[in-house]
Amino acid sequence: MPDWVGPVADYMAHEGLKNTARIAVFAVLGSTVVGILLGTLMTIRFLPLQGLIRLYIEVFRGLPILVTIFLVYYALPTAPVIHHRFGVITGAVIGLALWGSAQVAEATRGAVQSIPREQHEAASALGFGWLGRHRSVILPQALRRLLPPLVSLLANVIQNTTIASLIGVPEVLATAQRSIERLQFEPGAESHQFAIYVAVMAVFFCISFPLTRLAIFLERRLV
Amino acid sequence: MKRITIVFAALLLAAAAFSAWGAAAPGGKLATAAVPAAKPKPAKPKLPALPSQVKSRKRWEIGVKCDFPPFGFIDVRGNNDGYDVRVARRFAELAFGSKKKVNLTCVTTPSRIPTLMSNRVDIIISTLTWTAARAEQVQYSIPYYSATGRLLVPNNSSLRIASLSGKTVATTRGALYATWIRNCFKDTKLLEVDSPALAVAAVKDGRADTFMFDDTFLLGVATQDRDVRLTPDKFLTVPYGIGIRKGDTATTRWVNAALRYMKKRDEFVKILRANAPARIVPSFLDNVPRPKNTFAYPVGKDLTTICS
Amino acid sequence: MVEGGRTDAAALNPHSMPLVASFDWQFIWDHLPDFWEGLKATLKVAAIGIAGSLAIGIILGAARAHRIPVLSWLAAIYVEVIRNTPILVQIFFVAGALPHFPGHPIRLEPFTIAWLSVMIWGGAFNTENFRAGFEAVPYRYREAGLALGLSRFKTFLNVTLPIGGRIALPSSINTYISVLKNTSLLTAIGFAELTNVAYSLESVSFKATEIYFALAVIYLLVVWSLSALIRFVESRLALPEST
Repeated sequence: MPDWVGPVADYMAHEGLKNTARIAVFAVLGSTVVGILLGTLMTIRFLPLQGLIRLYIEVFRGLPILVTIFLVYYALPTAPVIHHRFGVITGAVIGLALWGSAQVAEATRGAVQSIPREQHEAASALGFGWLGRHRSVILPQALRRLLPPLVSLLANVIQNTTIASLIGVPEVLATAQRSIERLQFEPGAESHQFAIYVAVMAVFFCISFPLTRLAIFLERRLV
Repeated sequence: MKRITIVFAALLLAAAAFSAWGAAAPGGKLATAAVPAAKPKPAKPKLPALPSQVKSRKRWEIGVKCDFPPFGFIDVRGNNDGYDVRVARRFAELAFGSKKKVNLTCVTTPSRIPTLMSNRVDIIISTLTWTAARAEQVQYSIPYYSATGRLLVPNNSSLRIASLSGKTVATTRGALYATWIRNCFKDTKLLEVDSPALAVAAVKDGRADTFMFDDTFLLGVATQDRDVRLTPDKFLTVPYGIGIRKGDTATTRWVNAALRYMKKRDEFVKILRANAPARIVPSFLDNVPRPKNTFAYPVGKDLTTICS
Repeated sequence: MVEGGRTDAAALNPHSMPLVASFDWQFIWDHLPDFWEGLKATLKVAAIGIAGSLAIGIILGAARAHRIPVLSWLAAIYVEVIRNTPILVQIFFVAGALPHFPGHPIRLEPFTIAWLSVMIWGGAFNTENFRAGFEAVPYRYREAGLALGLSRFKTFLNVTLPIGGRIALPSSINTYISVLKNTSLLTAIGFAELTNVAYSLESVSFKATEIYFALAVIYLLVVWSLSALIRFVESRLALPEST
């Protein structure tokens, strides 16, 4: 293996992949929690609440993720309410989670509403109230239907962490680019740019492909 | 009813805790400096009091470039290095006796001032050329380097500053060259990218006719790359300063005193030699603060509006 | 101590003033022409990207659905690679790696890189959309076409495409809107579309709140309008429930 590969791979793995993983994990956690909450709340027949959540969903699905991240990282800190400064990783997590939670909320709403009325009626007939009905009957079924989209979301979020490179997060893409720049300025000026970009694509492919296959498999098995 | 609420609340708290942990945890290799064993240090210089937030934190938070050799870049071991980075580490040493007492955050030209303003770093040592517009936003320290603008072109190009009309000029977003082109070269197309390497790539790949940028970076490129060269044109000689939040007088006092101390002991030449290719060091000895030279910001003259 | 340090600087920081009072509406108004230039570029690239995605989607989707040898496999590889790698990396690949392709450097100008990369991305997703749509056309319709003496190709044109295309409409719409949103990432290569204009403006004026708020509003208006427009078209073209 040529000598330039070692340091580049090291840097990309130890710094890049680590940050990618960190951002992806927290963003998906945040998206799932907030998204399921909002999606379930949306099924309550209370128009103002439905309207508000609908607005949230349409805004964060309608905005490009880059714009959301810019808003969170550059504009949010200037709002008078926010006194705690946060770094690029938190900014990326919040931005991705806003988008992700809108996706999950929409999927949850669809999943909950796809549970046939008979389930609601049967549960009511057995004496369950709204909350009990949802907790014991509706949500378990809905959550099972949510599993494939959640797995897809994980794959998508992992891919979208690359957007965070544009605010300075040293994730996989950024670490690859810094390595290319370093190699360009060493004597010899052979930056191995093509090979390094292919490597970045390969890394993401190897993570994302199994996940999307898993999502398809789960879709067939569970739904 | 209670259980579901408790579960949701616990999950939300967990997510919040995770995010806070993710934010607070140091960013790995880039946060801590990996340096060789410390040599015995000379007696601590008499500098003014450290700014209170730096003192209580017992480390500096400094924004530096990570994509701008030889001022700020990532070395083969994945650590920050460069002229600016060494100044930052020297500050840590002067303040706390150790080069490790500094957290370095990567910034780019467009992100450095917002990062400073939002309190994410104490100061920025990031090739911040003085402009009147920036001086309204941030407090500049005394100069710590002086750069001149140059043009990088492919070897077979006959472009000069006088023949820029209708051409595409690459530069980094928010650089003073961008403003100067907008003001003085109205029929020139501007390609603004976020890192100098992207601009070099643009010139080599034919997406831009020239890259207008600081001489140290460009000379380093031209030295290593046989396909490009610099034109003889020189323009916009303006010093770099350290960016400090306006009104932060404690930090300004400390930083200026530290810079004066380093200048008196001719430390900037050592830093230059450690970072620039040996071949170009001689031509840049006048660009660094030395005991006998002075740099001044062109206050009152906004060079980016002077189109001669 | 920490509070004291931060408050000193924060108190003098213009950004901690009440948000509404310091929101510089005039600034946005003055720079609307810049935003408009950026928006025009965005729409141009998106239009070409969407048109290209449509064409690629139909052709490769048909190839996949009809299992045309070789082309179907190549299309499958294309789809899987594009769908499982980030679009930003694809953009940098087209812009930065292709010119360094060992042996045959491929150099392109920013506008070309822009529409090419979003089109390649959109085409892959659309191929899947149309493949699913064509495969969902009940076999008896194609049988009927063949029984009437239409060639396989004519059957495709007159039966599978119109019906399958309509089945694929909702998912295609999502892809086209995503193509539009993805143009924001072209700012990374310096292409002067809408996000780039905002980002560059912020680097010289530092009015982050105003600029990004305006940027968000513009994108939402464009995306929501495009969405509404396409859904209107979809409702006109939708298949009757009974089919």
